[in-house]
Order: sequence, then C-alpha cells, then structure tokens
Amino acid sequence: MKASFPKQFIGNTLALFVVWLVLSGRYDLSHVVLGFIASCGVAWLNTGYPNSPFHNFPWGRQVRYWPWLFLRIVESSWHLTTIILNPALPIKPKLLTYRSHLKHRGAVLMLGNSITLTPGTITVDVNGNHIIVHAIDEFSSKDLISGRIERKLSDVYQEIKRQ
Amino acid sequence: MKDFFLLVIIMLSILVLVYLYRVVQGPTVFDRVLGLNGISTKAIILMVVIGTVYEREEMFVDISTGYALLNLVGALAVAKFLEQRGLS
Amino acid sequence: MDIIAVALILVGMFFLLVAAIGMLRLPDVFTRSHAVSLTDSLGAFCVLMGLSLYHGFGTNMLRILVVLFLLFLLNPVIAHATIRAAYRAGLKPQANGEKE
Repeated sequence: MKASFPKQFIGNTLALFVVWLVLSGRYDLSHVVLGFIASCGVAWLNTGYPNSPFHNFPWGRQVRYWPWLFLRIVESSWHLTTIILNPALPIKPKLLTYRSHLKHRGAVLMLGNSITLTPGTITVDVNGNHIIVHAIDEFSSKDLISGRIERKLSDVYQEIKRQ
Repeated sequence: MKDFFLLVIIMLSILVLVYLYRVVQGPTVFDRVLGLNGISTKAIILMVVIGTVYEREEMFVDISTGYALLNLVGALAVAKFLEQRGLS
Repeated sequence: MDIIAVALILVGMFFLLVAAIGMLRLPDVFTRSHAVSLTDSLGAFCVLMGLSLYHGFGTNMLRILVVLFLLFLLNPVIAHATIRAAYRAGLKPQANGEKE
C-alpha cells in the first residue's frame, strides 16, 4: 500500500490547511490565500522522505482508531482511580519488554504514544522495535501483552498486506 | 454560572498547591520535573476557564496554545539536560 | 446544554483531584507518572469538553478542541522524555512484580 507522491501531498496540505482555518478564525481572502500557500510549502518540504514518521501517513483511516483508543483510556482511568482511592494501595509495578512487529515508523510512534496516553502504562525507552514499558499492575498491561493495540494499529496502517 | 466557574478556578488553584508540594519536597529531581509538567497542564486548563469567565476566549485560547508549545520545548530541554548529567 | 457542561466539568475535576491524591500517595517516580498521565488524558478531556459545550458550536469550540488535541499529542511526549531521562540516569523502579 504505497500512496503516490501527489496523493500524499494533497492529504498533508489539506490536514495542515484545516488547522490553519481553525486557528486563524478569519475567513477573508488574504488570510485564506496566505494560509493555503503556507500549508502547501510546509507539505512540500515534508513529503517524500521515507525516514519521516509522516511518510505515507493515512489521515483518513486514523478516524477508525481514535474512538477505540478513547474507550480504552476511560476503562483504564477508572481502574487507576480505584487503585489510588483504595486505602491498601494494591500496586504491582514492573518493567516489561515488548517487541512489536510494526514496520512503519509512524505506526511505532502511534504505538508508543498510545501506551503513554493510556493511564497505567508508560513507555520508558524505545530501541528500534523493542519497547520497554512500565506497568502499574497486571490489568493495565493485559491489553498490550495480548497485542490488541498492535493489531488495531496494523489494521489502520494496513501492514498485513505488505508483509 | 459565573460563580460556578469561579469555584472551578479556586479548586484548580488548590490542586496546583498540591503539585507544588511535590515540586518542593520531591526526593529526586525527576519528581520535580514531573510536578512542573502537572502544573503546566493545570495552567492551560486554568487559562481557558479564565477566558470563559471574562468572555474573551479567543485571546486566552491562543495564549494557552502558545503556552502548550513552549512547555513542550522547555520540558524536552530539561529532560535532555538531566539525561546527560545523570543522577545526583 | 449547560447541565451537561457542568456535569462534565465536575467529572473532570474529580479525576484531577484523584490525580493529585495519587501524586501524594504513590511511592516513586515511575508510578507517579501514571497519576500525571491520568490528569493529562481524562481530566483535561472532560473539563475542556465541558467548556466547549458551554460555548456552543462555533469558532471557540473548535479552538478549544485544537488545544485539547495539542494536549493529547504533546503531553505523552513530555512524560516519556522525563521518564526516559530518569531511566537512563540510572534510577531503577521498585519492582515487587517479576521482570519479564
């Protein structure tokens, strides 16, 4: 699944231009044209480098991942709340090493970011595809070890077809 | 409604005091950095609430956006420096 | 609409309070960072979502959503940088679970 250069360029430009429209808040001609030129330039500088995490970035398919991640965040937040408010403080912290099979650098970035954003697990170090994770107890690390996050992400980035 | 937002501001300030205890008291220097990170998140929320109270959201929301970006640069610089220097 | 906004803000304040209690109670840096990430994700989400609902649909709501998106994007980076610095500086987490 390789998107061609013009397709990636148009996707990046549109994503940057939406951010410009929301942040500027003025919709007269000069502001819109200036914003369009600026987002074209930034997208031109950032498209086409295979080492960048935003190379081949699937803007449209991210929408499928974020609501699922939000449900995970709510569930583990509630779990962490019960731990903190429990007078006995039942924590079992441990470090664990997780080896991911994701090839896309943006996918590894999203995996580390999701692990840190979910309360209860935090990414301590990333070394290539080995991720060292600190988890506060077994319930928090259950999702990661069973590989649910990684399966979701490889679905988003369509890694299965490439391998 | 305005009274409710004032109450929210007071509660957030008290929470900032709790984090400040961790910044002053923290056993290692990383505890202090973590406490400062929590305080800056509180400050961003606080700015949006203050903008709602004074009905000048566009200005305060822009300031909080800039504060979030500056906070990222500062925290990354501090973390890089502490990583080089090691534990002491 | 106002009632939903007030309820969301109260829920967010509850999570912020729990995170502050965790900041006081938890034993070391690695576990305290979990409390900070609780603040970043769900507490900030509920409070800012309630404020944007209070403003109603418009430019202000979109801007507050952009601030929320920035928080979700940047705060994990800050937490990860701090914890990585602590780990590489030689601070070991206390572990009473086994290491895998």
